[in-house]
Amino acid sequence: MAIVAGSTGLPASPPASGVHPIRRSSLAWRIGGAIRANEEQAWRWSARVASLIPLGALAFVLTVLAVKAWPAIKVNGVGFLTSSSWKPGNTYGATVHTDGVAHPLGASYGAWPMIAGTLQTSAIAVALAVPISIGAAFALTERLPRWLSQPLGFAIEVLAGIPSVIIGLWGVLTLGPFLSKHVYPIVADQMPDVPVLRYFRNPTGHGEGLLTSGIVLALMIVPIIASTTRDLFLQVPPLPKEGAEALGMTDAEVARRVTVPWVRAGIIGATVLGLGRALGETIAVAMISGSILGSVAPNIYGTMTTIAATIVTQLDSAATDGTGFATATLAEAGLLLAVISVVVNLIARGIVVRTSRLGAPVGRA
Amino acid sequence: MTRTFRAKIALPAVMLAMVTILAACSSSAAPSTTSTASNATTSGIETPPKVSLSETGSTLLYPLWNIWAPAYNQTYPQVSITTAGTGSGTGISDASNGTVDIGSSDAYLSSSQVQAHPTLLNIPLAISVQVIAYNVPGVTAHLKLSGSLLSSIYQGKVTEWNDPAIAALNPGTTLPSIPIVTLHRSDGSGDTFIFSQYLSKADPSGWGTKVSFGTTVPWPAAPGALGENGNGGMVSGCKATVGCIAYVGISFLSQLLGDGLTYGQLQNGQGNYELPTSTAVAAEAAYFAPKTPANGTISMIYGPVAGGYPIINYEYAIVDSTQQSSPTAKAIRSLLEWSVDPNKGNSAQYLSQVSFQPLPATVVAQSSKQIAKIQ
Amino acid sequence: MTIQSSSYPDTRRRRITEVLFRFATMVALVLVLAPALWLILGVIFRAVPHWKWSVITTPTQGTSGGLENAILGTLLLMAGVLIIAGSAGVLAGIHLAELARPRRSGKSSGSFLRTASEVLSGFPSIVLGYVGYVALVVGLHWGFSLLPALLILSMMVIPYIAKSTESALRQVPTNYREGAEALGMSTGYALRKVMLKSALPGIVTGLLLALAIAGGETAPLLYTAGWTNNLPSASLVHHPVAYLTYPVWTFYNQPSSEAHYLSYDAALLLMVLVLVLLVASRIIVARTQRHSEGRRG
Repeated sequence: MAIVAGSTGLPASPPASGVHPIRRSSLAWRIGGAIRANEEQAWRWSARVASLIPLGALAFVLTVLAVKAWPAIKVNGVGFLTSSSWKPGNTYGATVHTDGVAHPLGASYGAWPMIAGTLQTSAIAVALAVPISIGAAFALTERLPRWLSQPLGFAIEVLAGIPSVIIGLWGVLTLGPFLSKHVYPIVADQMPDVPVLRYFRNPTGHGEGLLTSGIVLALMIVPIIASTTRDLFLQVPPLPKEGAEALGMTDAEVARRVTVPWVRAGIIGATVLGLGRALGETIAVAMISGSILGSVAPNIYGTMTTIAATIVTQLDSAATDGTGFATATLAEAGLLLAVISVVVNLIARGIVVRTSRLGAPVGRA
Repeated sequence: MTRTFRAKIALPAVMLAMVTILAACSSSAAPSTTSTASNATTSGIETPPKVSLSETGSTLLYPLWNIWAPAYNQTYPQVSITTAGTGSGTGISDASNGTVDIGSSDAYLSSSQVQAHPTLLNIPLAISVQVIAYNVPGVTAHLKLSGSLLSSIYQGKVTEWNDPAIAALNPGTTLPSIPIVTLHRSDGSGDTFIFSQYLSKADPSGWGTKVSFGTTVPWPAAPGALGENGNGGMVSGCKATVGCIAYVGISFLSQLLGDGLTYGQLQNGQGNYELPTSTAVAAEAAYFAPKTPANGTISMIYGPVAGGYPIINYEYAIVDSTQQSSPTAKAIRSLLEWSVDPNKGNSAQYLSQVSFQPLPATVVAQSSKQIAKIQ
Repeated sequence: MTIQSSSYPDTRRRRITEVLFRFATMVALVLVLAPALWLILGVIFRAVPHWKWSVITTPTQGTSGGLENAILGTLLLMAGVLIIAGSAGVLAGIHLAELARPRRSGKSSGSFLRTASEVLSGFPSIVLGYVGYVALVVGLHWGFSLLPALLILSMMVIPYIAKSTESALRQVPTNYREGAEALGMSTGYALRKVMLKSALPGIVTGLLLALAIAGGETAPLLYTAGWTNNLPSASLVHHPVAYLTYPVWTFYNQPSSEAHYLSYDAALLLMVLVLVLLVASRIIVARTQRHSEGRRG
């Protein structure tokens, strides 16, 4: 590799082949020189443009959503967030106008069941996924020998890559029926009729519903949280842990008092990453939720829907509403989901950036 | 170059090369042997140029499209047809957006759609039928079901199979006391359209005022109700759910019978209970055929026909009469002309596989006139 | 790093807690691995008994036939995403790691851009698909086709590529940078010859992960790529593209068992594809680390 002095890339001494470089075609040499001289500017400029792409894309998406949703926002108003009706109106009847927006007579949309469904499934998913992921990460880093924990760790990373449609398919064909036949009836029969546990009583339905959706979502986000947590645990320096052990603490106490607090911000960050994925998960939930638009699930096994699942099942046919109002309402729902997702993400960054390593100098010494 | 650098370049290069080679190979191997004979028939089916057509929409018509497409390709292999079953709502939307060439729908266009897209046509292609299927263990008979009873069931007023309202219509059949699970379509569906029309006409003060009809309706909260995707989802959902009741297109009849489900006798406009036999369907169709307007828009539900089955409908092709390219327009015309031809697509050879009825002769002529408008 | 506490806890409560903890962590690991194993075996056992090699060489016809169109379509989409998102993402990562000028306040620069990138990566994919449908497919009259699908997929994966490029570049030792500058290399030359070469494993990992994500997406492709029985053509607009996640999403509901088999076959092919990509990235990382200094033991 020739050592280069100066920015033009000319070798300082004649190369071993004996051909003096200036004797090459001087046009090619001049073009090459011009390229090399501008290379730095080209890199800087193109890299700067590329780094603006996510920002530009975000702005574009939010703008399109806001523009398409505006007629629906005007008519649906704040009631959109609290009402439970999902009435497309009489699409084969007359068209009326409210606030200058055309819509079918009787159209009235409320997204509360969707919002509730989204929050409920994500809450179940995170409640199940976080303890399991942390426990599995401990098992991987502290309990298993290296020859076992490395391939298992890789297996978990592969699981994170399984397409969600396959997980949804398995949920509909295998997990849902299994749970509804063998697990839910047993659980539901044991539950007493007291305030919180009442939610877990019969009827247990047929496998499609809130709890199954939550379990499937948990299955999807566990690999993300588990592999990130495992990486974090591997970075905890051994000295504090050994010190705690020397003081006589048990494994459980070392985990609780040393390891987890050390990486708490990272775990929270990974959890929120998983939460973001659960909030936006579309396909698997659409397959396993039961697709009921107008009501919140009456108990934990009940059928419901989420914002993302509603958009994917209703979008195709929304344009049959010739006034465009149904499409605008779906855009409004999409905007709502986008806003929820952005807020959750920003909160996560707020928590993580406080103790992140991004402020550290670039590179290792 | 280091090995990883080679890996970084080689991997995408190989993928790209594979893709282009396979694409080139297969496109050059496209059948071009029999396209010379211009099969000019007396029924006036045009010979199409080499184009790709896309169809999407009604899951009720989807099985028939999958029978029609290869049959059409035997005479005209130069047209490559892609079909999809996504629901009538999607058929209408995509046809009006221009993202699909032919949209299939069990529902005709609404006045607001016609206002928004004045160039859209709904062209009747065949007559299809809807059945009410149920999964009640121990009941293999065709239960008598009236429109008002179905309206009560879907409103959640009748919740068990041994309810007196059902028993009153079916004396002599032992009905178990299991809960009724109502299945409805979660996607925009022509089946929903014709079913909700039936309920609206049979129960005008109840369903008609509260819910009305459309490709999507605000389903009342019946206990345990499930939303399913497509006719296929209705059948598989009903098979998996004991006590279910579902409205299913007749093109899925062999599947639902094979899955152990059965269907009911429906009360028609004259108060008689009829099974969806071809005689009953033909009787109902015969009443409405002369009343069908030139644009094909008519509801054939709940007609006052003594021996008629009450839920029948035209299957429509939703097509924009102003196409972007005239080769595509010609191919669409050719395919649709073939489909409505009583000796070709509309012959018993194809329609009987899905239990559809052919179009009456007057309607064939009307459809042909509409097809000629596609330019 | 296995810390096994060898001290004997002196209260019963602490002993019980310790035993429960050890038990709970193993149970948790089983709960992570067992359902996934059940899923993978379930797909294999549904797909393999009815597997025909003709599935790879026949295009789909209605709800039967094969999956050649879907396989080629997915590969084409991945290749396109590699080109578009790969170049944009790597450049963005280079900018965030190397080229952004440090702020006067001393804080790491580019954090606003980084925030935007992370927010975009967490965006619900259906909303991006909807925007692609409304703005590109219908709005610009491109119709279901390759270009809107590539643009939307790229939007989704550029943040991942940028993040992995940035972290890979940050891990290049500062010595290399200082040495390059001492020798008078221009930034571009140093990037090409020094930095990117050492950061290559991390970058390639990010690229392959992005391909796996793009290949497994369904919702955005439903509204941008459409579906077709035809093999992919070179045209960017007006011609829909097939992809493997479509049969999994739609065919399992069809009444014919042929359609079900196609659905399972597509699921199997997808899993194999994802596995190949992730194993490839692991191999590349392991091989380059064999030659580089400072690898983890």
